[in-house]
Amino acid sequence: MGSKGFSIHFKAVIATLVFGSLLTFLGCAPSVVKSKPSASWETSQNAGGGQKNIEKQGMSPRALAALQLTEQGRLFLEKKQPDDAIGILERALNLNPDNGRNYYYLAEAWLMKGNFGQAAQFNRLAHIYLKDDNEWLKRVLLQKERITEEASGSGPFKR
Amino acid sequence: MTKNKRSINITIKRLFKWYLPVIALILGMMLVYCWYLSIQIDKRFSGRRWSIPSKVYSDTTILYPGQKINRVLFNEKLWHLGYRKVTHKPEEKGELRISMSSMEIYLHDFKVPSRYKEGVPVNIRFDKDRIISIVNSITDQPMSIMELEPEEVMLFFGPKRERRLLVSIDQVPMNVIHAVLAAEDHRFYEHKGLDPRGILRAIYTDLRHGSFKQGGSTITQQLAKNYFLTPKRTLIRKLKELFMSLTIERLYKKNEILEIYLNEIYMGQNGSEAINGIGEASIFYFGKAVEELSLAEAATLGGLIRAPNYYSPYIDKSRCRKRRNVVLNAMYKQGWISDEELRTTLPLPVKTVGYAAYRKKAPYFMDYLSDQLTALYSPQDLSSLGLKIYTTLDTQVQIAAENALKKGLETLEKSNPALSRTDPQKKLQGAIIVMQPKTGYVLAMVGGRNYSVSQFNRITQARRQPGSAFKPFVYLSGLDQFTPASILSNKPVTYEIDGKEWTPKNYTPMTEECVTVRDALAKSINLATVDLAMQVGIDHIVKTARSLGFSTPMKPYPSIALGSFEVIPLELARAYCPFAADGVLPFPLTLKSVLDENGNILEQRHMTINEVMTPGKAFLISSLLQSVVEKGTASSLRDFGITYPVAAKTGTTNDYRDAWFVGYTPDILALIWVGFDDGAPIYATGSKAALPIWADLMNALPQYVAGGWFRMPQGVVRGMICSENRQTAAKDKCPHPMEEYFLADHIPEGYCPTYGHENSFKRIINGIKGFFNTF
Repeated sequence: MGSKGFSIHFKAVIATLVFGSLLTFLGCAPSVVKSKPSASWETSQNAGGGQKNIEKQGMSPRALAALQLTEQGRLFLEKKQPDDAIGILERALNLNPDNGRNYYYLAEAWLMKGNFGQAAQFNRLAHIYLKDDNEWLKRVLLQKERITEEASGSGPFKR
Repeated sequence: MTKNKRSINITIKRLFKWYLPVIALILGMMLVYCWYLSIQIDKRFSGRRWSIPSKVYSDTTILYPGQKINRVLFNEKLWHLGYRKVTHKPEEKGELRISMSSMEIYLHDFKVPSRYKEGVPVNIRFDKDRIISIVNSITDQPMSIMELEPEEVMLFFGPKRERRLLVSIDQVPMNVIHAVLAAEDHRFYEHKGLDPRGILRAIYTDLRHGSFKQGGSTITQQLAKNYFLTPKRTLIRKLKELFMSLTIERLYKKNEILEIYLNEIYMGQNGSEAINGIGEASIFYFGKAVEELSLAEAATLGGLIRAPNYYSPYIDKSRCRKRRNVVLNAMYKQGWISDEELRTTLPLPVKTVGYAAYRKKAPYFMDYLSDQLTALYSPQDLSSLGLKIYTTLDTQVQIAAENALKKGLETLEKSNPALSRTDPQKKLQGAIIVMQPKTGYVLAMVGGRNYSVSQFNRITQARRQPGSAFKPFVYLSGLDQFTPASILSNKPVTYEIDGKEWTPKNYTPMTEECVTVRDALAKSINLATVDLAMQVGIDHIVKTARSLGFSTPMKPYPSIALGSFEVIPLELARAYCPFAADGVLPFPLTLKSVLDENGNILEQRHMTINEVMTPGKAFLISSLLQSVVEKGTASSLRDFGITYPVAAKTGTTNDYRDAWFVGYTPDILALIWVGFDDGAPIYATGSKAALPIWADLMNALPQYVAGGWFRMPQGVVRGMICSENRQTAAKDKCPHPMEEYFLADHIPEGYCPTYGHENSFKRIINGIKGFFNTF
């Protein structure tokens, strides 16, 4: 055995390692690639400030102006005047289509009117636009529950 | 004496026997006639007194600091709303002072369904076309939003074409009442319908001048004549007028009679329209409500009653002023104005607000609206009930669209004389619809080049092949199987349809045999699109089109992929909306509400939406259509100054029969069509013929350009892919990585095989090196 034997063993180990590494590469590569993309892809959650050209809601004068109309719409809802609320919330939406609160209140107005289909549609849009706002997201999810309840006939609104 | 007495007795007996019964009979008949008249008068006055044309209004206009506006169109809007330039600081509602960097406006009061806005003076400061600030001039408080009243755009006239704004007697200021009485019947509150003193005075005046200078008619007589009788000057008519006046006076109180009179009187003419009543006249001559009239203005209106067109300030200001001063003197004589009021008012010039001759604005939009209204109300009701009809129309967008279409078509004709036609009916045509994609509000509609030549609405009534403008719906159908990075075949293929062969061709010959989905749509490649359509399934595409609201017949032929089936342009524009609206299909809304003359809401319509695709798919299509502008068939938009993000698609049909351009941002969507009604070729593509019109339109509407883009929704991921093999790019290795969006459940499964291998091989070598390092 001696040094020759060691050399043979060493070469065998090397060969095994190289071959094994190759096998590992060839055999496992797809699984590595499959798992990697999910980590390297940017989703709407992790996009953060990377999104280009998007006005930050509540910051621009346009958003401020729209929010003023939204507030008027909310006051109509407080007075149980859903049609008036919808009219003004639509104007707010035209002014700033990214205003998630508008969708929330529109859902509320349609819920008040007993049109659960439209309420659900606007609630879904509210969810899209308010997903980054935890406080509002909670309200949106609670609203969704209420819409489901009302639609199933177990809520306080009469159909 | 005895004989005489006997004779008198005989006469008296005869009188009793013959004349008195005759007189009694006549009196009885008169009473019966008056009774009959009282029934007639009561019937007319207790019912609807006038036919008031229903009015159609645009939407309100919103301004806010930071907003860019088109100042030319905005100034035009203010003119149409009755704001008039002054050189001093605005002191009255409707006054306006303009400088390069600011605009001072005293806003009008206005009322729209559920809201009343009181006019305040505001100061708007500009930096070129951008609003820097809006400040309430009274409180000095900055305003984050300012709203302008809706603009009157159409009236549903009856056969008489009368405009009338009803006012109650309580609304009318004393100065106006006194001016009218001083001019027409200063003893109105003293007589019983007839004024013998007035008649005698009129006869005396007429005899003295030897002509018919002064009429002795009281206000009640004038009312009877105007309201119930013909203007013919006959004895019978005069007798009828007399009986009617007496009857009216018995039936109604003085103030009621005066109120009816003030609303009834003819006050002038605006083209073919008659201006009736003091309320409408106040608006027509002075641009203000009757409550706001000054003494001079009140006297002017009072003076007009006798001969409105002769004394009209729009015809002869000097003559009008003389007449006004006659009325002022008469008011002074009656003690209704003071010496000082007379002295200060007499020298004043006659100022008018100016008017634009009535013209049906946005005629194609109005026709489309009328079709909806006539399903709710009869034409007679529309021309008589005085309804207020509020719409989604934005008159600034409408004017911009009309201008852009006119200019675009003229430019095309100039650039290619073969497109010019002498017959107006056969001229090159075009159409535009502008919508807000999230709400479905139709902001403007131009259904043709010239409404007076052709009322055919090419937006709502035409059926035209959409050509490549249909392709986004094909790609939408394929998003469950394909990604923007998927490869499509660009090789020629012959298909058999109903026993006939069909071989689609590309618009321009290409050498590439494969293209990506993104490039295929961006460059509008026909062969690749048909390849995708065949893989997706034609039935699936038809189903997608149906879900997007297309109502025209579509058969499952492969040519559908290239837009071979006719569509209605309005439906095509609507079908693009979900891409800009998180997958929601809105109903195209034009009518918002209808109110009766007392302000009660009769009809109210809201935006209604329906989810037709996921927000992720909508976002991906918008991203693909953005490539059309960035590197595809619409890349020339940049040359027209459109530098902000836009999603768009061009369309050209066989033999250049139709040129299309549909473009949108998150805020606005516009569709342009150009073609001949008879299908003759226009020898230009959508990007040559329709795109410049779209660009021109958008450049005129800075208020709708926020420059934003769509948020990446849940269900979409973004990452770098290798531009060579469309797989996930190997970090720092792929020489030309590119950004791409995917649906989260359709991301590429592998790393770049070309450059990714090198990476892995090096990893092995490094591993081996590491192993040796352990020894």
